[in-house]
Amino acid sequence: MNTVLSRANSLFAFSLSVMAALTFGCFITTAFKDRRVPVSKVMLKNVDDFTGPRERSDLGFITFDLSPIFDWNVKQLFLYLSAEYATKSNALNQVVLWDKIVLRGENPKLNLRDMKSKYFFFDDGNGLRANKNITLTLSWNVVGILPLVVGSGQVSLPFPDMYETTKSY
Amino acid sequence: MLSIFKSIPTHMDYKGQKLAEQIFQGIILFSAVIGFIYGLIIQQFGWTVYIVLGGFTVACVLTLPPWPMYRKTPLSWQPALPETSGETSQKPQESLKKKKHK
Repeated sequence: MNTVLSRANSLFAFSLSVMAALTFGCFITTAFKDRRVPVSKVMLKNVDDFTGPRERSDLGFITFDLSPIFDWNVKQLFLYLSAEYATKSNALNQVVLWDKIVLRGENPKLNLRDMKSKYFFFDDGNGLRANKNITLTLSWNVVGILPLVVGSGQVSLPFPDMYETTKSY
Repeated sequence: MLSIFKSIPTHMDYKGQKLAEQIFQGIILFSAVIGFIYGLIIQQFGWTVYIVLGGFTVACVLTLPPWPMYRKTPLSWQPALPETSGETSQKPQESLKKKKHK
């Protein structure tokens, strides 16, 4: 501690240790929070769908508010919509239809209407036809300041009796 | 140019070093507590980092340069003996000879 350099060295190292302790404290205060988001409005319409099968398909309108998830530990959210269903050949299928990255500072109220799926809804086999119960699940992963596994949540909306055929395009 | 930096005196005495260490640890811990509480209230970690950086610069200004408060108890060195080269070379040899005889 006799010269400026050794004082600067110990000061800087102490500051870094204090910053590490603060980051850990930030992680502790938010890691065990329950991150459920209430879905405010769900509407289902049945309209002509020209992109997929020729018959009338279901078009979903979902409104949900994500701002309770954004606390000070959250850097960005990774959202994805997946469809879960059971077929004869596989007990559980999950297909990701759409995803989006929401950075903090952007509008957390997502109002999704008329969204087309980003990825193809391919099934391993022919299990989609006459499938009675397909569950659409909106999940998210939280990327935090201290990027351990902070949390993930989901909202599951059952769409029963969804009859799809893959015969005609 | 480096000789200019080396000629600036930067020493502190021992009590001054201890005081400087206590001062910067106290400042940084204080700003860390303030920053943590403020960031928790407004839920943005960026402000916590800014407050700690502010505390870091204040501590730098207060402890890095050798202010006079760190030089209040200087060590008292012995007065310098007037030296001639003949005396100093003979005296150690005499003491060595005496030790060997024992």
